[in-house]
Amino acid sequence: MTTESKEPARNPVLLIIDDETRILTAMQRSLRREGYAILTAATPDDALFIAKSRTLDIVLCDQRMPGMRGTELLAKIGEIYPHATRILMTGWTDAVTIAELESLGISGIFAKPWEDAELKKLLRKAASVIASG
Amino acid sequence: MEPSLPIVRIVILGSKSTALDSAGSARLTEVSASKAASSHAEISVVALHDTRAALERLGGEVSVDLVVDPQSDLSALGFDSVDLFVLDCIDREEASLWLELVRDIGPPVLAIQRDDDDDSALQLFRCGADQCVRLGSDYMHVVPATALEMIHRWQQKRERGQVERHIEWLEGFNDAIVNQIPAALAVIDGEGKVATLNPLFSQLLGVAAGEAPGRLFSAVCDAELYRAAGFDEMVEATHRGFEVLAREARWTNADGAAQVFDVRSQQLDENGHVLLVLTDVSQIERQAEQIGELQRYNANIIQNINSALLVVSPSRKINYANSAAESILGVEFGKLPGRRVAEWFRDDETGVHLIVQTLMDGVRFKGAETLVTREDGRLIPIGISCSPLLDAAGETLGAIAIFQDLSEVKQLERQAMQSEKMASIGQLAAGVAHEINNPVGFIRANLFQMSEYLEDLQGVWTALEALQLAIASGENADVIRAKSAALKDVSKEIDLDYVRCDFTKAVSQSQEGSERIRHIVKDLRDFSRQDSAKSELADINECLESTANIVWTMAKHAVTLEKDLGVLPKLRCYPMQLKQVFMNLLHNASQAIEGRIAEEELDEVTTGEVVVRTFCKDGGVGITITDNGTGVAPEHMARIFDPFFTTKEVGAGTGLGLSTSYNIVARHGGNISVSSEVGKGTTFDIWLPESVNPDAGNRADAGGVLDD
Repeated sequence: MTTESKEPARNPVLLIIDDETRILTAMQRSLRREGYAILTAATPDDALFIAKSRTLDIVLCDQRMPGMRGTELLAKIGEIYPHATRILMTGWTDAVTIAELESLGISGIFAKPWEDAELKKLLRKAASVIASG
Repeated sequence: MEPSLPIVRIVILGSKSTALDSAGSARLTEVSASKAASSHAEISVVALHDTRAALERLGGEVSVDLVVDPQSDLSALGFDSVDLFVLDCIDREEASLWLELVRDIGPPVLAIQRDDDDDSALQLFRCGADQCVRLGSDYMHVVPATALEMIHRWQQKRERGQVERHIEWLEGFNDAIVNQIPAALAVIDGEGKVATLNPLFSQLLGVAAGEAPGRLFSAVCDAELYRAAGFDEMVEATHRGFEVLAREARWTNADGAAQVFDVRSQQLDENGHVLLVLTDVSQIERQAEQIGELQRYNANIIQNINSALLVVSPSRKINYANSAAESILGVEFGKLPGRRVAEWFRDDETGVHLIVQTLMDGVRFKGAETLVTREDGRLIPIGISCSPLLDAAGETLGAIAIFQDLSEVKQLERQAMQSEKMASIGQLAAGVAHEINNPVGFIRANLFQMSEYLEDLQGVWTALEALQLAIASGENADVIRAKSAALKDVSKEIDLDYVRCDFTKAVSQSQEGSERIRHIVKDLRDFSRQDSAKSELADINECLESTANIVWTMAKHAVTLEKDLGVLPKLRCYPMQLKQVFMNLLHNASQAIEGRIAEEELDEVTTGEVVVRTFCKDGGVGITITDNGTGVAPEHMARIFDPFFTTKEVGAGTGLGLSTSYNIVARHGGNISVSSEVGKGTTFDIWLPESVNPDAGNRADAGGVLDD
C-alpha cells in the first residue's frame, strides 16, 4: 500500500515501512504538517518496489516483519540509495547490535512505542543533514 | 571230633574220561579191570570212590569241586581262593598235564597215587605234587589228615605272604606320604638330633637329604625359623607327654618372602622320637586375607552406597539393612534387622507391596516409584527395585530391595518444571511485548494527534460561537456574513474536512488497538491462570485454543495454524500443566517451521503450517500436533524426551520442555509419542485417559509437582 502526500517534490521524501498499517496511518497523522513527502509500505516487497521507482531521502523501517528483517531490507535499500538516512524501528525484544547496524550503514534506532515529539525531532535532524549535505 | 576249619576250598582235578560217567563206581570198575588185580581193584574202588567223601569228612566248612578238563579256562574257575588241589587222575600223562597247570598257582597239590610204584610217586613229585597218598585201607583217614595239614601249612604261608605284602604296601604308602605330602616332616630323636627329614623339610632348611640325619636339629634348622616355631619348647613339651597344640610360625625365608607355617608335634615312641610337621599356610593366609579384604570391601560398598539395600526373609522380616536404608527409613543404626517390612512398606489399595510380591511370586521390579512410611510417620517418595534372592537350586531365600529417596529428585523436578515455566513465560513476555508495542505505539500517536485536532477545533468552535451570538443578538447581515467568513477561514486553516474525517478514523483505530491489547491480556490471563492444588474438569479444546492464541502472538508471521477440534468430554486434569505441554509443542512446531524456512529459503506464507487435531480415542482424548518444519534427526529421536536434551543453540532453550511435557502427560496417566522425518515435519501424539484422577492415581507424586 502506498500513499503520497500532497507536498511538493522538493520536500524530503520519507518512506515508512511497517507491516502494521495502523502504525503507518498514525505516523502519517503525526507528520502531516512536518513537510515531508510521505510514502508508506506494509511489506518488504512494496518497499523495494517504491525504492526502485522513487528517490528516497529518509527510510524508517520496522525490524520485525514477515519474510524479511528490517535490517536486511534497509541494507537492500542502502544499495540503491547509499546516501539515504536509514532508521530502524524496533521493540526492545529484538536483539540488534550496534556493530550490525554500522556494518549495514543504518544510522539509528528508533524505539517503539514512540513519542511523537521524538519522532519529529529525529526526522528533522535527518532532514537537516540531507539539506546541508 | 573233626577239626573245625574256616571255609576251605578244595578242587579235585579228575580224569576227563571219568567225567563222562555219572557215577564213580562205573569208572572205578573200569580202572580195576584194567589193573587186573582184584584186591587192589577193590581198594581202589573204595578209595577212589570216596576221595570226595574222604575230603568231605573235614567238615561242613569244606567245599569240594571237581574239574576234569585241563583245557577249560582255569582262571574262570577262580583258583585264587583254592586251598588245596587234589590230583585224582588215572594216568600219568593226564596227571602231569594237570600238574603243569596248577603247580605255580600257589595252593599245594595232593596227588593220589594209584599204584605202589615208587617211580610213579617220584614222577608226581617231580612234576610238582607236594604230597602223595597211596590208595590203601587207611586211605579214608590219610587223605583228610594229609589234606588238613597241607591246608594249614598253606594258609599260614598265605597269611604270612599277605602280611608281608601289607607291610611292603604300608612302607610304600608311608614313603609316598612322606615324600609327596605338601608339608615338611622331620623326626627328632631323644637327644635332639635329626632322625629323618622329608624332602620338603630338607628343601626348607636348604640341606641335602642325606646330610641332616645325626646332626642336632637346632644346628641344622634356620635360627629364625627355629625361634619362630618354638621348637625347643615344643619338643620338650612333647617329651614330657603334653599334647602340644598346633602353633603358627612366621618368618622370612632366604628369598625374602614372608611365610606362615602351621607347626605341630607328635611323640612317636618311648625313645623320645618326635615328629614335627610344618605346613606352609602362607597362601591360605593370603587368601583368607584377600577374602577378608573382599568382605570389608563389599561391606564398605554396601554400607556407603547412596541406595538403601534391604534383604528380606520369606517371613517378611528384615535380615540385613545398610546404613542408607537406616537413614531413609529413619531408624537407628543396627535396629532394622528382625523387624517386619510392613512397618515401612505398606500394602495399599493397589495391592500388596512390591517387596511382598517379590517374596511371594519371585517377580522382579525395576525402578518402580512408591511411597515409604518413615519411622517418624512421614511419607516420602522412593524409587525401588526388588529381586528375589535365590539359592543354587532356584529356591527363594528372600528378596533384595534397593531403593532411593526421591524427595530431592522430586524437588529438583519441581524446580526444573518451575524454571521451564519461567523460561516459557520469558518467551511469552517477549512475544507479548512485541504484540502490545504496536497498538500502544499507534494509540499514543493517535491520542497525541487527536489532542492537536481538538486544539484546532477550538478555533472553529470560537468562530462558531461568535457567529451564533451575532445571529442571536440580531446583528445585521454584514456582521453575520463577516463572522461566517471567519468561521470558513478557520475551518479552511485547520482543514476541517480532513480533521472531521480523520478524527473519526483515529478514534476507531485507537479503539481497535485497545481492543487488541485487551485480547492479548485476556489470552495471557487465561493461559497463565494459577492451577488450584486440586485437579479440575477442563475442556481440552479450550486449553489448546487459549494456548495457541498466545503462541501465535509470537509466531503468526511465519506460520498458519489449522485447528480441527472434535467434540470432547471434559477431563479431570491440571489445565495449566496441560497448557504448558501444548505451549511447548506449539512453540517447538513454529520454531521448526521458522527453522525450515530459514534453511531452505522458502516462502513462509504458503509453507508454514501447524495442524492441531483433537478427537475421542480409547476412552480418552487424543491430540495430535503436526508441523511441516525441519523434522527431528533420527539420532535425536531416542533422546527427545530426555531432560536437558536440546538441539537449540545455547540459551535458546532449557532442554526441559519436552521432558517436562512427557512427565506432565505421564502424570495424567496418558502417553506422548513422536514421529518425524527430516525435511518433512514432526507429529506429536498425545493421549489422555478420561477416567484417571490425577489427584489419587499416582501415589509417587505425593509431595511432588502437584502443588505447583
